[in-house]
Amino acid sequence: MSSDVRFTDFKSDKQPTWCPGCGDFGTMNGMMKALANTGNDPDNTFVVAGIGCSGKIGTYMHSYALHGVHGRALPVGTGVKMARPDVEVMVAGGDGDGYSIGAGHFVHAVRRNVDMTYVVMDNRIYGLTKGQASPTSRSDFETSTTPEGPKQPPVNPLALALASGASFIAQSFSSDAMRHAEIVEKAIEHDGFGFVNVFSPCVTFNDVDTYDYFRDSLVDLQEDEDHDPHDYEAAKEVILDSEKEYQGVMYQDENSVPYHEKHGVTEDMSEIPDGAPEDAMDLVREFY
Amino acid sequence: MAEDLNWAIGGEAGDGIDSTGKIFAQALSRAGRHVFTSKDFASRIRGGYTAYKIRTSVEQVQSVVDRLDILVALTQRTIDENLDELHEGSAIIYDGERSWDAEIPDEMTAVDVPLKSLAEEAGGAIMRNIVALGAACKITGFDVEYLDEALEKRFGGKGSKIVENNKEAARAGQEYVEENYDLSHLGYDVETTDNDYVLLNGNEAVGMGALAAGCRFYAGYPITPATSIMEYLTGRIEDYGGHVVQAEDELSAINMALGAARGGARSMTATSGAGIDLMTETFGLVAQSETPLVIADVQRSGPSTGMPTKQEQGDLNMALYGGHGEVPRFVVAPTSITECFWKTVEAFNLAEKYQTPVFLVSDLAMSVTEQTFPPEAFDMDEVEIDRGKLVDEDEADEWLDAQGHFRAHAVTEDGVSPRAIPGTTDAAHMSTGLEHDELGRRTEEEDERVQQVDKRNRKVETAREQEDWDYREFGDPDADNLVISWGSNEGALVEALDYLEADGIDVRVISVPYIFPRPDLTEEIEAADETIVVECNANGQFADVIEHDVLTRVKRINKYTGVRFKADELADDITEKLTEEVPA
Repeated sequence: MSSDVRFTDFKSDKQPTWCPGCGDFGTMNGMMKALANTGNDPDNTFVVAGIGCSGKIGTYMHSYALHGVHGRALPVGTGVKMARPDVEVMVAGGDGDGYSIGAGHFVHAVRRNVDMTYVVMDNRIYGLTKGQASPTSRSDFETSTTPEGPKQPPVNPLALALASGASFIAQSFSSDAMRHAEIVEKAIEHDGFGFVNVFSPCVTFNDVDTYDYFRDSLVDLQEDEDHDPHDYEAAKEVILDSEKEYQGVMYQDENSVPYHEKHGVTEDMSEIPDGAPEDAMDLVREFY
Repeated sequence: MAEDLNWAIGGEAGDGIDSTGKIFAQALSRAGRHVFTSKDFASRIRGGYTAYKIRTSVEQVQSVVDRLDILVALTQRTIDENLDELHEGSAIIYDGERSWDAEIPDEMTAVDVPLKSLAEEAGGAIMRNIVALGAACKITGFDVEYLDEALEKRFGGKGSKIVENNKEAARAGQEYVEENYDLSHLGYDVETTDNDYVLLNGNEAVGMGALAAGCRFYAGYPITPATSIMEYLTGRIEDYGGHVVQAEDELSAINMALGAARGGARSMTATSGAGIDLMTETFGLVAQSETPLVIADVQRSGPSTGMPTKQEQGDLNMALYGGHGEVPRFVVAPTSITECFWKTVEAFNLAEKYQTPVFLVSDLAMSVTEQTFPPEAFDMDEVEIDRGKLVDEDEADEWLDAQGHFRAHAVTEDGVSPRAIPGTTDAAHMSTGLEHDELGRRTEEEDERVQQVDKRNRKVETAREQEDWDYREFGDPDADNLVISWGSNEGALVEALDYLEADGIDVRVISVPYIFPRPDLTEEIEAADETIVVECNANGQFADVIEHDVLTRVKRINKYTGVRFKADELADDITEKLTEEVPA
């Protein structure tokens, strides 16, 4: 790892096709800054994404990357990390990708505590399919597929993570660039699954959860001196608070041990001998 | 033909049928005898009929036959289920003290042994099956000391007391028969040899092949009959620095395996039935992103949940055509347990050499059948590893474009691009399921689309030329009658040749381990008067592709009862089929 890596080294020369003003620009810039600030470089970084606007991120960043199928980015990230504990793994998803089609994987990646960073660009809408309700849409949010609103409560991803045994839960706002990058940085440095839900407004299809809305309503936990992210009960309180929405690190387990360490995986699995391993006949003799 | 002994134990699931059978199979193997086992089990934990059959001979055996010599019947149903296979010389070991009144046909020898009480005397009723094994040893003249070795292997970890009790139970069974019956008229006398054999099933051979080939990551979701591959690897792969993940579902399993492969590990997943359907979407991604991955499908009876504990070869079309769009792939189908090992090694090499998904298609019969082999059949010195165009930093430099971007999907003559894994300096790149340019970035340009499709297809063409897509051959190479088979039917077919030869019928058997690409059988079929394709499915999926390749009609033998072919049954089927008119 070289120390002179700048965040622009993580930028590809492909121009994003996100709508002008999209929150995803800020989300991605923060991710790149956080990667550079934590001493990573493109050659030791693997970015995984699924489908949707968020899924395009691998194209706009410069690193090893895989753009996969809808909702399955977390398992891919898990595989990369297990094979290569030496590689920094960052997974990007959207609210549809992560909390709808990929909800099952979210729960299990969280409870496995795989050492990777999961950034969800949450705009509370399906953008790339032109404006349908997402799992985080408000129950009265009118869309093309829910003309009278979904009439079901939105998923609370932070609570889902907490209930699944998360070791790091944070939320940020793509427009608050410094704070967002700083929060992602903490998620990267966390030993285990670093989960960051990012409010990343969709300027085209969501006229409710707008920049102004978040700017006016978000409470920054940094300003709350009483909030101790290592205090589980305090985390529970802010995560389950139905009145307010917060940014910052809600919860961090100080004793977190990542999955690969728990399972004794330390080696780079890409190295294998030229032929069968020397003691391989022992495998056969076992069947005597 | 080999002088066989056919033994079986049957009862309810939960009666310890499987472990008893395995112990006896191991004892026979230790005595230098060849063994072939088969299992009949229901999809439930307790209750329901379960049987474990062993065919044993001093010569190699590779199929089941319709004959039972010694039957350990723990329930009346065991006798009823096997009536067809019992004969005048059969001995049936049962426990007359139990509540059921055994109805054993007069012509067979009923051997009433108080299994439960003798087991209790030896230390516990649970050992009643071991008492029965002791009784079987006496009837067959098989030295009970071989059983001791198998019991030590099985129970050694549980302490010497357990081992001693079991040995005692075996002797109690043996002595009881000795004192109460004279069975010399049955004429059983099991010969032993000094040969050292190993005894393993198809899934164990796949797992062993994976380890020999350097597989370091496996992710799977439990499903019958694929699970034992995962169970084998768990606890062993760690010795080589690898890891097995039990994923939350098959979608996750294949995506984890894909991730590990992108990381540079030799990686694998295995499933069956419904699981392979769930994996199909990612299967396309594996091909499109040009990721080397081995996906094993241990076929069971379908469609839907079908008969999950029964045999079938119904997934061939899925392996050939599964997935939306046009997906280049390899489909390799081992034809025997040794081939399960070697084809797994080959699958990993093919996957990395051509950066494609490789389907390793096995079936239930092969996966649960244990068979003996000389250990040299799995000679690890023969294992070769070919990682294809995996490039290091210096080699990667040769594949940079004018702007210094690594051309991970470079259009090449042989269709294979350079492959760089994370950590390779200056070779960072993305791969995607979207159509992409040479750099892996999304494109909808007509020219680039065509170039990439052609490139991926060219890999298959290159492989067609460079690899040996051969077949295995048995019987008389000049015979007018040709029988073609794939998968686990080979063993039964090879043994059927003996029956056919005895009837004066010469047959050439071609057993094909490659479904795609596959050998061109045009010449072989044109040289034959009659061609029959044998497979365990209703519609003749392999026969269809053969007809398509050769542009001629073939005869078909299809079995879809859920039970594998038996050698003697197959011989009869072939004889009958040879006289039948060719379908119009």
